[in-house]
Amino acid sequence: MMRNVGGVIVLSLLLVFVQLAAGESFSPPGTPKNIICRSPEKETFTCWWEPGSDGGLPTTYALYYRKENSDTVYECPDYKTAGKNSCFFNKNDTSIWVTYNITVVATNALGRAFSDPVEIDVVYIVMPNPPEEVTVTVIEDTNWPFLRVSWEPPEKADTRSGWITLIYELRIKLENEDEWEVHPAGQQKVFNIFSLRPDSTYHVQVRCKPDHGFWSEWSGTTFVKVPDYFPRERSMWILIAVFAAFIILTFTFIWLSYMKIHNLKHYVLPPVPGPKIKGFDKKALKNGKFEDIFSSLVVSDFPPTTSNYEDFIVENLEVFVPEEQELIMEDSKDLQDDSIKSENSTCDNDSGRGSCDSHTLLIDKGGGDKEEALQSDQEGSQDERVPTSPEEVMEEDLLACCDEKNSPDISEKVKFTPSLISPLPRYNLMNQPNPPEIGKKHCLSDSLLNPDSLPSYFTQPPSTKNDFRSNPWECNFNHKQHPLHPQTTGKEHLQVQNEISWVHVDRTEASLGVQAPSVRSTEYVEVQRVSGGNMVLLHPVSAGQENSGTMSHQTEHYSRVKTVNNDSGLLLLQKESTGEEMGICLSEEEVESRATSNGYTASITPTSEKPMVGINSTLPILDDRMASGYVDTATMFGLPTY
Amino acid sequence: MAPIYNTSRHLKALYISPLFVALVCLAFCSRLSRMKAASICTNSQTGCHFLSLANLFDRVIHHSARMHGISNDLHSEFELYFLPSKNRVSRNCHTSTILTPNGKENAQRIAREELTEVILKLLLAWRDPLWHFHQNMARHHKFNNLSSNKSLEMSEMVHELRKGVQKVAEKMQMLGIISNSLGTLGSREALLASDSPEWRLMNDYNLLYCFRRDSNKIQNYLKILKCRIVPEHGC
Repeated sequence: MMRNVGGVIVLSLLLVFVQLAAGESFSPPGTPKNIICRSPEKETFTCWWEPGSDGGLPTTYALYYRKENSDTVYECPDYKTAGKNSCFFNKNDTSIWVTYNITVVATNALGRAFSDPVEIDVVYIVMPNPPEEVTVTVIEDTNWPFLRVSWEPPEKADTRSGWITLIYELRIKLENEDEWEVHPAGQQKVFNIFSLRPDSTYHVQVRCKPDHGFWSEWSGTTFVKVPDYFPRERSMWILIAVFAAFIILTFTFIWLSYMKIHNLKHYVLPPVPGPKIKGFDKKALKNGKFEDIFSSLVVSDFPPTTSNYEDFIVENLEVFVPEEQELIMEDSKDLQDDSIKSENSTCDNDSGRGSCDSHTLLIDKGGGDKEEALQSDQEGSQDERVPTSPEEVMEEDLLACCDEKNSPDISEKVKFTPSLISPLPRYNLMNQPNPPEIGKKHCLSDSLLNPDSLPSYFTQPPSTKNDFRSNPWECNFNHKQHPLHPQTTGKEHLQVQNEISWVHVDRTEASLGVQAPSVRSTEYVEVQRVSGGNMVLLHPVSAGQENSGTMSHQTEHYSRVKTVNNDSGLLLLQKESTGEEMGICLSEEEVESRATSNGYTASITPTSEKPMVGINSTLPILDDRMASGYVDTATMFGLPTY
Repeated sequence: MAPIYNTSRHLKALYISPLFVALVCLAFCSRLSRMKAASICTNSQTGCHFLSLANLFDRVIHHSARMHGISNDLHSEFELYFLPSKNRVSRNCHTSTILTPNGKENAQRIAREELTEVILKLLLAWRDPLWHFHQNMARHHKFNNLSSNKSLEMSEMVHELRKGVQKVAEKMQMLGIISNSLGTLGSREALLASDSPEWRLMNDYNLLYCFRRDSNKIQNYLKILKCRIVPEHGC
């Protein structure tokens, strides 16, 4: 007996010493902490605690509670059901609306530890289970499918009897996203979700809470796949259509504002081409002079004596200056021809007026190098200037600029607005008296021309080769009428560039003095448009220059430009140069064209903006060339000066 | 001319505005009278809006929920600013004498009449204490304006809710759902409870604590009653 007791004591002491030697120390247990009580359905509840340090010794825990206003201490009836360190109160032990005072005691061999008391009322610690039977279905009745989420309250919570009232909340997210979209759902058990992304998977979760309590855990994730659908929203298409129409209208207005009405009218309603018969003189027909008419039909150079059928090619405006005509031109200085017709390269004798007029036919040579003035005809001498009040005044104004620079013969002012120049292979230039005339817009507009008004402007040379006086602006002047009239063998290629206002005049002309009709040299007449849109400065280029254009100008031509009519016809009269170099008037309002020995006149019809354009060459018109056409300055573009 | 014009306009405004006010008042008064007519609706009167029992129940339940919310707010505020000592005084609510079911089974087992009676007793027992509580708060400026308004609202709500539950009881009696033995019993016990001086001994914190619990009881009992009698609407 004694030995047993002693053995036990020794053993215990050994144990203690061993443990002491091992470095451990025994102590009373630490206090249990964080007592949490929760009730899932307001009928039972469970409390959990956190054990403190056990002090190295086996520690037991006990939960004691007191009910409200009672000193009776009860111990936890069930330590097992809810797991470790827990206490479960079943229905019989649970009283609602009663305050529980709960304490947890930790006990080990060395002592006890009491936790802080916790007072709870079951009503306020309700935390239900998550909702159950969460189902998500895709409703596809309309074009826009939506999700319908439905669930059931947790089984334990008795909402049917009204004992617990639950409110719900659900959240949804796309499969590959991180952020949930939370929707409170109130007390309902069904919820619809719209605005889904087609062909994607969604995750849905639901949770609930009693009216005074804690939120439950989120239910398990329910996956739902939304099928692919194409939304046919009518209003969206209507909106798109309206927007597109608005943009189109805006652009149309912008475009229209850039286009001038004049051009637009021509663009939409091209003028009807009038008949053009070369050499046919309608005015003469009216006058009843048959011999004139028929003589006009006889074209001296028809069939073409020259082999240059390229003349008829619309490409260029060519002015023929045959040898004999040149001589004649030189000799008969008093011969004056007006009527220059230069056409656009794309125009020919037979092309309608519209094609002549269309600014789109202007050829853009793209180079600043080419400055060519069109001089197509002879120009009237200034001596024969007949003063006419408005035009004369205009001319005076035009002439004023260049007075000091030029010899009186030279002061010519050509004023024209951008226009088309339609070249004709041949034309007769008719000398016109000085007073500028309003350029006629179109070649064969009989209506435009008032033959009565013409005579005042024209003084025919006594040689009266100007049977065309009454209609100097006839496009198809037949130079055969004036066999003595010099004709330019040179071909002038007039190419007017739109917007750049290049007027290329290629003139091939025979050298002076040696008149082989086959010999031609190209002369370039540069038309410089100083500015303002109405002035053309004609600056002839010396012969031999190509169309590629060099800037050297050895000869300068003065040409007289007479305006044909109000509608912006500008007639440039080609003048025979006296060989002098005349200063080019570079004033903005003036355009001077200097006639070379060949004496070219170009008629350029200004636009309607400046009805009065006139250039009078100071040199006598030596040529009787008549322009079979004239430059239609319906759209005349300024030529850069150089 | 301009000043004269302005004054004439002002005069016109002066004349018109009272008329306008009078019109508005007429409109309001008519509405109010109509509402009053609807609220003071006895069984025999005609022209009353017929409210179904379920509708009545919903109204009183909402009312009680609001009352409980206010009491909860006041209690939390009191606990925040007037920290009671850790050694809490045992709570002796004056209504502890009223036997109330303290569990679901008990509440479902009890008869409808008894349940209704319990509700009415509770409501009656709190009428005076809350009124005095509000007076106390207002006199001693213990609460801020917001809380003082809440205490006043709380005391009024008890009054209104009691009347509402009485209406529900009357309707139930009329419909034959409950017997007619309700009226006398409730008043007697309630008078006893309200006469007891116990509630004067309660300090403010206890009073708020007790009332918070009792308002929760009332709300819960009403819900149980509704789901037992008219279960088809939201139970």
